[in-house]
Amino acid sequence: MKIIKKPSWQLNENEVTPKELFDKRRNFLKLGAASLVASGAILETLAKDNIPIKNLDFIKDKNLNNLKLNTYEQITTYNNFYEFTTSKTRVKDLARTFDTSNWTIDIDGLVEKEMTLDLDDLMKTMSLEERIYRFRCVEGWSMVVPWIGFTLKDLIKKVKPLSKAKYVRFETLLDEEQFPDQARGIFATIKYPYVEGLRMDEAMNDLTLMAVGLYGSKMPNQNGAPIRLIVPWKYGFKSIKSIVRISFVEEQPVNSWQEQNSREYGFYANVNPNVDHPRWSQKRERVLGKFFKQDTLMFNGYEKEVAHLYKGMDLRKFI
Amino acid sequence: MMKRLAIHITLFLPLIFLLVQLFIIEVNDPVKYIYTISGIVSTVILFFSITISLIKKRVNLLKYRRAIGLWGFFYALVHMINFVVFDAQFDIYFILEETFDKPFIYLGMIAFFILLFMAATSTRKLFRKYSKYHASVYLALLLITIHFVMAQKTIDIDMFCYIAVILVIGYYKLLQIIVKNSKVYTS
Repeated sequence: MKIIKKPSWQLNENEVTPKELFDKRRNFLKLGAASLVASGAILETLAKDNIPIKNLDFIKDKNLNNLKLNTYEQITTYNNFYEFTTSKTRVKDLARTFDTSNWTIDIDGLVEKEMTLDLDDLMKTMSLEERIYRFRCVEGWSMVVPWIGFTLKDLIKKVKPLSKAKYVRFETLLDEEQFPDQARGIFATIKYPYVEGLRMDEAMNDLTLMAVGLYGSKMPNQNGAPIRLIVPWKYGFKSIKSIVRISFVEEQPVNSWQEQNSREYGFYANVNPNVDHPRWSQKRERVLGKFFKQDTLMFNGYEKEVAHLYKGMDLRKFI
Repeated sequence: MMKRLAIHITLFLPLIFLLVQLFIIEVNDPVKYIYTISGIVSTVILFFSITISLIKKRVNLLKYRRAIGLWGFFYALVHMINFVVFDAQFDIYFILEETFDKPFIYLGMIAFFILLFMAATSTRKLFRKYSKYHASVYLALLLITIHFVMAQKTIDIDMFCYIAVILVIGYYKLLQIIVKNSKVYTS
């Protein structure tokens, strides 16, 4: 009797996939890959279509940190702008008719000469640059936005504050005709006009931006048109929208959210994963569009640029 | 039979709505969105479950109270799963820290465990034994309301409307209990 002893590596006949099926599987994989590429391309075109035509001239950000941008759609359909509504998704619709033409900014307080700047004129004299920044909201969500604007430092140099000026105070437009929540009087969600402030050295930091646009075109109404502040190492509410007044003052201004609830929202509002909000943790953040969270970085990732501003300060106390 | 089916379909629809928003329309902040929808739906269903005995003369849904209550628990469970999976990402340390540290979280947790207890003892056999503890739903609802208010950055008109509805239900519920008790004493 002849005994056939199979070598250990040899498969049983029934374990072998027939060639026909094997080929089919390859075809299926190819199809899958092709459809992935195709839908990716379509999605990209669609996403591009939602971005308005670029209408600003600016120096592009090289994005050295390789930040992954949020889409124009995400940035412009999820907004906190209480003057319109507390609903983040309804702001876009309500802000559609917001009139920002002939916008002026009053500069007053401790300056050599108080003045009213016409925004169109101002834009002609400032050189614009793109700044791709992380943007972290105190509520726990975040996004990455390609803002366009000029540094606040350049503006401050232009308007020449006096040496007595220790703080900069900003104010948003007060206009019941245009802002539904302001028209609600004592039933308004927060006190208006919205006020924010920075210490002079924070204002003079190279990161502090006066933004007039994003994704190459001018600022969408819902994002704080026509001009807003961007302080990327602080929680989003510090980055005041639709600015009409900038005052140079000696005393630390009381900002709107601090006035609303000083236990939860302070003057500094630095992004700090080690100091929780009294009601929720600040350790992690939800990037718009993502199901899973990521760790929040100290000073929102701008520690190198700004940590020296707070040396020796107890950041648990100075929230 | 038709009534039961209609109830189940109605209470299933919010889940479909949630899934469509999450995966087809794609909301910007899914984690927050799941919290909001599951939380509001659960709260509304649970408040409705206690109003069933108030409206029984007009619409009698007493037979379906258990099913309705379980749907309320289901949405609370979705809320809780969202916390564990997407918010905490299974980080037990984070869950414990938050639970013991933040009133906002532990009030919600206590309410959830009350509902869990009620759902677990809702079978015919266990209900007979534990039904007297099911009055703890009122405590759960109180905690849920506080939890809900604490989740808001500011209190606006919508919130006052919710609270007004809750107070009206509470008022009639209290009245019902007082009337019931006085009957017991007088008879």
